[in-house]
Amino acid sequence: MTMTIPSRTHGAEAAPSSVLRRIPFPRLVRVEWGKATDTRAARWLLALMALSTIGMMLAPVLAPRSFDQTYTSYLRIAAMALSILLPVVSILLFTGEWSQRGVFTTFTQEPRRIRVVNAKLAVSLLMGGGAAVFGGVVTAAGLGLASASGRVLDANLTAGAVTGYLLFVLINVFAGVALGALLQSSSIAIAASFALPAAFALLGAASKLVADWIDMSTTFNWVLENEWGGHVPQISVSVLFWVAVPLAAGVVRTMRRDVA
Amino acid sequence: MITTTALTKSYNKVPVVRDVSLRCEPGTITGFLGANGAGKSTTLKMIVGLARPDRGTATVDGRPFVELPNPTRMVGTLLDPSAMHPGRSGRATLTIAARLADVDTRRVEYLLDLVGIADAADKRVGTYSLGMRQRLGVAQALIGEPAALILDEPANGLDPEGIAWMRALLRDFADRGGTVLLSSHLLHEVQATADHLIVISDGAVVAAGRLDELLASSTILVRSPDPDALGAALRAARIDYVAGPDDVLAVDVSGGRVTTEVVAGVARDHQVLLTELRRSETDGLEQLFFSLTAAKAATAQEAAA
Repeated sequence: MTMTIPSRTHGAEAAPSSVLRRIPFPRLVRVEWGKATDTRAARWLLALMALSTIGMMLAPVLAPRSFDQTYTSYLRIAAMALSILLPVVSILLFTGEWSQRGVFTTFTQEPRRIRVVNAKLAVSLLMGGGAAVFGGVVTAAGLGLASASGRVLDANLTAGAVTGYLLFVLINVFAGVALGALLQSSSIAIAASFALPAAFALLGAASKLVADWIDMSTTFNWVLENEWGGHVPQISVSVLFWVAVPLAAGVVRTMRRDVA
Repeated sequence: MITTTALTKSYNKVPVVRDVSLRCEPGTITGFLGANGAGKSTTLKMIVGLARPDRGTATVDGRPFVELPNPTRMVGTLLDPSAMHPGRSGRATLTIAARLADVDTRRVEYLLDLVGIADAADKRVGTYSLGMRQRLGVAQALIGEPAALILDEPANGLDPEGIAWMRALLRDFADRGGTVLLSSHLLHEVQATADHLIVISDGAVVAAGRLDELLASSTILVRSPDPDALGAALRAARIDYVAGPDDVLAVDVSGGRVTTEVVAGVARDHQVLLTELRRSETDGLEQLFFSLTAAKAATAQEAAA
């Protein structure tokens, strides 16, 4: 039996330019984006996130007495809805490689691991941005339904409120990214992403210090509600604690870890 | 070309790879032979930058793997056939690799055909047998039209027909100037596939060379009631040997310098009693491989005692 593989001759004389060139960063991002969205599990998760956002948006539409009928309170509903599953999506983007042993392939295709990490960070940013836009569209639809039912809504949406909303969504995305990069195991990181905020919220109930500086249900809500006044140091510490420090540690760990 | 120089690595202070130096030339298939746990996979991982050596260097085409601009265009790797996302189809898996390598995605269809999984291309990898994953892994390794292949136990999970197919494919690849480094724990598998051989035992290279030379070279088996004294005498005479079971030393005769007369003379000069002295009549390579595995077991026993 003979077979031939059409191929360049193996010598150096026929090296096409892509052999000598690094993988361009946009291509890395495109491939990582594809990997984050092309499996059945990923699509289910994204669909679930979309459905839960739409479902939660029905609450202020259907129960006007229990919710402020303002543009910003509708937008906050979208933010809260997104913040439940969006961190899970970004966790899986980082842990999936280790849990499914994809690192064998990924890090032999691009051995400069920091470039893979950066591509995944870019994908997280794009996904967070996309989710925020989707949340905005769902909010608009909710508001449209509410005003169609004859209600008068307070159009109190300011640039500050929109910025706060966007930052809140992105902070949640990157809190998930940080946990995923640090823990490198899907199950542990997802469990932690639900358990740790709850644990610190409990601690926050006991200690005002924790509540003001670390409990994300307090500090990140200031971001969402655009209440920066007097809270910038607390918000900064919280972002350091939930995002910057674990992300930095996770990047270092990803760079150094042996693939077993 | 693939080279390593004195690669050394410990996990939790236990040495796994010790001073492994090897060299794989274009146009050859190098078999990396060793028992399970001998350090083969760790060595291969250090070559491709998945594990960091404590000491030593590895290069592919003259450069460390991590400095290759687009590595899949230079060297195809298959280190773990189960390391593919089970939720992705075979075609999708190859398409991702093709995009990164920047090769025409028509090559995906060609390779699916070549490795014989075109019929299952749209099934999820999670439903594949180990043999099918090996085939997909080979396709992925070939996607960037590389000049070298690094494969860890590529025969695992393949049926006899699949193994014959794999051999023909690798032989063809090498005959057209490619470099192949493959590991195996099966002697006859390496014997049938490779033309160069590196034997690793307990993390260290214990034999290396052309397969035909290693096969031709036989050993002299020499036995003494006082193997330590005999070993010291051989070392003094600069004769390489491997300690086997039952006080037998296997003397390396590959250089042609050492004969039974020479060994007998060394024993006489050092007044060491010999109870057995003969050329090994069994298959040289097999003898070598088993004596090494036995030597390792003997060392372990000594260490435990």
